[in-house]
Amino acid sequence: MVESLLEVKNLSMHYDTLDGNVDAVKDISFTVKSGESFGLVGESGCGKTSVAMTLLQLQPDNSVITEGSIKLDGKELIGLSENELRKVRWDSVSIVFQGAMNAWNPVVKIGEQIREAMREHYPENSKQQNINKINELFKMVGLDESISERFPHELSGGMKQRAVIALALSCDPKLIIADEPTTALDVVIQDQILNEIKKVQDLLGLSLIYISHDIAVIAEMTDKIAVMYAGSIVEIGPTQEVFKSPKHSYTRALLDSTPSIRGEKKKLRSLDGEPPSLINKIDGCSFSPRCPTPTTQCKNQSIEMRLVKVGDDHFADQCCSGCVKNE
Amino acid sequence: MLIYTIKRFFEMVIVFFLFLVISYLLFNAIPGNAFSSLLLNPLLPPEAYQKTIEAFGLDKPLYERVQLYIINFFKGDFGYSYTYYPRTPIDLIAERLPRTLMLFSIVNVIAFYTGFLVGKILAWRRGSKSETWITIGSVFSYTVFYPWFALMMLWFFGYKMDWFPLGKFLVPEKWYDSPYTSDEIFYTLIIFVTVSSFLLFLIFIFTRNIESLQNRRNVRFLGLISLFALAATYWTNGEAALKRFYAADIAYHMILPTFTVTLVAFAGTALLTRTTMMEVLKDDYILTARAKGLSQKRIRDRHAARTALLPVVTSFIFTIITIIDGSVLTESIFSWPGMGQLILEAVVQEDIPLAMASFSFIGILALIAHFIADVSYAFLDPRIRIKSEN
Repeated sequence: MVESLLEVKNLSMHYDTLDGNVDAVKDISFTVKSGESFGLVGESGCGKTSVAMTLLQLQPDNSVITEGSIKLDGKELIGLSENELRKVRWDSVSIVFQGAMNAWNPVVKIGEQIREAMREHYPENSKQQNINKINELFKMVGLDESISERFPHELSGGMKQRAVIALALSCDPKLIIADEPTTALDVVIQDQILNEIKKVQDLLGLSLIYISHDIAVIAEMTDKIAVMYAGSIVEIGPTQEVFKSPKHSYTRALLDSTPSIRGEKKKLRSLDGEPPSLINKIDGCSFSPRCPTPTTQCKNQSIEMRLVKVGDDHFADQCCSGCVKNE
Repeated sequence: MLIYTIKRFFEMVIVFFLFLVISYLLFNAIPGNAFSSLLLNPLLPPEAYQKTIEAFGLDKPLYERVQLYIINFFKGDFGYSYTYYPRTPIDLIAERLPRTLMLFSIVNVIAFYTGFLVGKILAWRRGSKSETWITIGSVFSYTVFYPWFALMMLWFFGYKMDWFPLGKFLVPEKWYDSPYTSDEIFYTLIIFVTVSSFLLFLIFIFTRNIESLQNRRNVRFLGLISLFALAATYWTNGEAALKRFYAADIAYHMILPTFTVTLVAFAGTALLTRTTMMEVLKDDYILTARAKGLSQKRIRDRHAARTALLPVVTSFIFTIITIIDGSVLTESIFSWPGMGQLILEAVVQEDIPLAMASFSFIGILALIAHFIADVSYAFLDPRIRIKSEN
């Protein structure tokens, strides 16, 4: 058994706003083993990115981590000072950002922006060493060496995203967080980028946290998956098993809303209602108002949200794991 | 880029031509002429007035004079100053310009740099108590009635505390037996300041390629130290050692005006930097920079402030023009005999050749400043570089 690289336990975080506290992350626990790819899926605003940002504590200033622990390689990250965190950032964990378009400073050359990170973490490297490494990385992600001397606006979206991957790899991290890396790209480029990430991950034996609202992409990319709804994980388990037999009705709804290439044509189902506002405290199951097959227990909102074991290494929220069975 | 530059140059020539014609016409729109006051003297026969007018060609019709002036202008002939006859405007400007150039280039650089520094820190410390107070202070100094403020400074530091001289740019007693004229000393000072800032610039340019941040900082520090040592040797050896005493006198007179103008002028830059930088801080690449593990200072200076610099530099380049025309107010209050006072005098006395020469000189420099603004903008922002190449 490979030891776990990242261990997140009972992590809760809220944003302090003028209207009240927004509970963006509620009591989340998961582990990522080394070399494993872990998927985080859910609709917009369900707290996926908040989780990712909290892992490196890059969240905005108004956020408060109320409890929980994040252990990277056995080292606790919560409570570290800014300077200690700086050493962890990029060196152990790097991020491939959502909008590659805006991830680059428009007035600094690409190569310089990558070298800047390397200077920080490998201060003894010479300039030539850094350049050689960047060229190597560019080759790996399918970019020409001349890109280093270009400015961000001179690259296409796909090229920028490839360069972002090279940037993420520049300091030999153990874990890469890919936060919707393909959202702004067209399907063809999307596929190329996904292959690139996968290739790099296999080649370097990295762990990957892949965040997306696109469950199809997640299915392709990950070994393990967690489904998030309104700030909490509602189902977590091996990707294959979750897809084969989803236990939570939200997971089921997500799968039903995705077209499948093989098999007979089915009408896509969509979910009524809106995700709940995270400002209001929700008692019981947060999904029950939208659940297509609620039980009376759900409606009364009397069941607390808690993950229960529903299969081998497969957990789902105790309320709705019942709902699917009743169908 | 070359085509763009040539195009800009032709535009500049046309604009300058229009500028000349319009300012000449405007001066002639003022009722009377430079010699009208002669008429008030009852002892002077009217023929004498007529003769003077004819001698300076003021009896000719306006269109003829404009034509003549422009032709002579491009021949390099600016005529004679009416009030300082027989001195030429060029002669007068050459005398006054170094004084203004010296004071206001230093003031502008200091004010810009302080403003940028303060604005940067304000944006970075958004929401803190110090930010609130400094912003309030900046708004105060941005909006304060300048002549009153300058007089107060003069009163307090010059009269009450007696730390600084009350105006003028030298103490005449010290200069009675001076082997140098003040202009010579001014030229020496200007050359000294230009050369040392150029060397400073070179140090920064050549250390840019040192990869290790620690080494880069050390080398720059070393360079700075040796620059100071070089300056010290310059002022203690040879002819400069003799000039030192007089140069110090001028520098001493510059402190109060520099301080006063800086206090008023830095605020505009500071508030502008603050606003633009707060926009930049919301951008995604700031998050990238944080995620890369860069230090706070480096994120602030390299990523946020560097991008926020663009509009600030534009506004700065337009204020460069004040280096030349000199703030008329500042020069009057601190009795600094520079270009500003010269222009004021020329306009009040309707000394058309002198006023026209000073204004066209400023006009040329304003056009050059705008041109530099365009070019440096392209240098600072690669996105514009591309567009202008097409």
